[in-house]
Amino acid sequence: MASIISVKDVSKTYRVPQREAGLRAALSSLTKPQFLEVEAVKSITFSINPGEMVALIGPNGAGKTTTLKMLTGLLQPTSGQISVNGYIPGKRGNDFLSQISIVLGNKSQMLWDIPPLDTFQVLGEIYRIPKEILRQRIDEMVALLDMFEILRKPVRNLSLGERMKCELVASLLHQPKVLFLDEPTLGLDISVQNRLRSFILEYNLRYQATILLTSHYMADIERLCNRVLLIHHGDLLYDGALKGLSSLLTNSKIIRLTLSEQQSEQQSTAWLPEGAEIIERNHHNFTLRVNRSRTAAITAELLKHLPVSDLSVEEPALEAVIDRVYQDGAL
Amino acid sequence: MNHRGGLALIRSTWLSWMQYRSFFFILAFGWMVPPLVAMFVWMAAAGNGNVGGIERSAFIAYYLVLILVNQLTYSQTNWTVGDIIREGSLNHWLIRPLSPLYQILSSEIAGKVVYLIFTIPIVLILVVLLKPQFTFSLNHFVIFWIALFLAWALRFLWGLWIAMLAFWATRADALLALQDSMIFIFSGMIAPVAILPGALQKIAEFLPFRYMVGFPVEIMTANLTSQQILIGITIQSVWLSIAALSSWIVWRKGLFRYSAIGG
Repeated sequence: MASIISVKDVSKTYRVPQREAGLRAALSSLTKPQFLEVEAVKSITFSINPGEMVALIGPNGAGKTTTLKMLTGLLQPTSGQISVNGYIPGKRGNDFLSQISIVLGNKSQMLWDIPPLDTFQVLGEIYRIPKEILRQRIDEMVALLDMFEILRKPVRNLSLGERMKCELVASLLHQPKVLFLDEPTLGLDISVQNRLRSFILEYNLRYQATILLTSHYMADIERLCNRVLLIHHGDLLYDGALKGLSSLLTNSKIIRLTLSEQQSEQQSTAWLPEGAEIIERNHHNFTLRVNRSRTAAITAELLKHLPVSDLSVEEPALEAVIDRVYQDGAL
Repeated sequence: MNHRGGLALIRSTWLSWMQYRSFFFILAFGWMVPPLVAMFVWMAAAGNGNVGGIERSAFIAYYLVLILVNQLTYSQTNWTVGDIIREGSLNHWLIRPLSPLYQILSSEIAGKVVYLIFTIPIVLILVVLLKPQFTFSLNHFVIFWIALFLAWALRFLWGLWIAMLAFWATRADALLALQDSMIFIFSGMIAPVAILPGALQKIAEFLPFRYMVGFPVEIMTANLTSQQILIGITIQSVWLSIAALSSWIVWRKGLFRYSAIGG
């Protein structure tokens, strides 16, 4: 199958003005500005097939939003080739723009002082959607998101969750073939998150839309995406199934341990068996990460040397796995 | 060009702004005050005689037309362009298949409609109270509208390229305040350009500011000769071309920079 998004050796380097604190430095920066080159994205390559839902994950500042902005034409790549639906995004042609959409979780595209329905109608005109079809699409999405009662209230009076529903509807009115979602569930409560996820899934199934999303919520990714792209410090560290990522990383197990006596800081490092690492500690509850092959031996050692009142062995949670990648910067 | 989208945008912007009528009415009132003050000063100065050949009722006519022209040509949009660039809302303009010029024009046109709801009745009341004296021909009336349109385009585009310096400098709108001061002095607002002292008058006739406000007003109220009108329209058109070209260049370069460093 021909890919709908293709990214080849794409890099993005920002030149950031740089100066020391203080008046003298401020003045000299006027005459001799110093720049620091920051490589936000370093030569990444990937491609996405039509209808795929892919998550772009990575810590803050990893280059996710930069990548999305390059794919939508808001930023020009420093080098490399990008093709989205057969277009070069950086040219920002109207044909290209009519077939994509981007939802920025932290920036609203709704007109603030008038009801969402008015914004939808303006967008309908901008994308030249016939009135009848526009009404059908609004009705359909409004039903799916259960947001009928907010259509006629000014947007500024809506809650964050209600606004996010509006953002999604607004960006899907023209039925984009490619949808970019930048942290669509940021700051939303669990039930709104769930509803948005079902909605995105439904949209993908109905229209075979290709969706690339960034999120810090693993639930988003587990529910929506079969494939993840993990970016860190601008490098593409992993491209593949989510399951693959965790099995690649879960060379470890988690031991949860409750001690009957409080241990001092010094003691707690002294009793730590080889190959075990404390990842969390709360009074006398400890969470250890241990090598999978040494789990049995370490458990035995812990029981032998410490006043253990409770102990359990678990598979690491995906969040913890990802956290480790973010901290270490490598797989 | 996507006129359907543009029209819908104008309508919705207008709807948004009608929510804030009173805010805009206060702004409009603020813009009306300096010419009103100038009008009362010149009315008093003229007394029963004249100043520089302009009589009391002619001053009234001049300033009442000026209040309308000032309102119609004042481009409040330019004050928001900088914020839109700085705060990244520009991204929403750039991902739509609609020229950003429509976004700017829609707020420009919607704004005019809101302001005029306030300004026209006030000027009408002043006309009834102060009984200005108008002497203009049909020709002048027709040319007035042409000059008014050019004046708006000039003032709008001149402010636009300045506002778009926000692509490089964070507080480019300080320059807009400077533009307003220059307009106050040189556009015929503090006094009709014809009665400015010698050197100032020459400068005013050369700078773009008179062609943003005073020139169309003079066509309606000062019995300009055909030659004066022709020269005026020519200078106006030259400045308009410069403003349009500057806006275009600043936009292209600014957008290039924006897409290089991100919003």
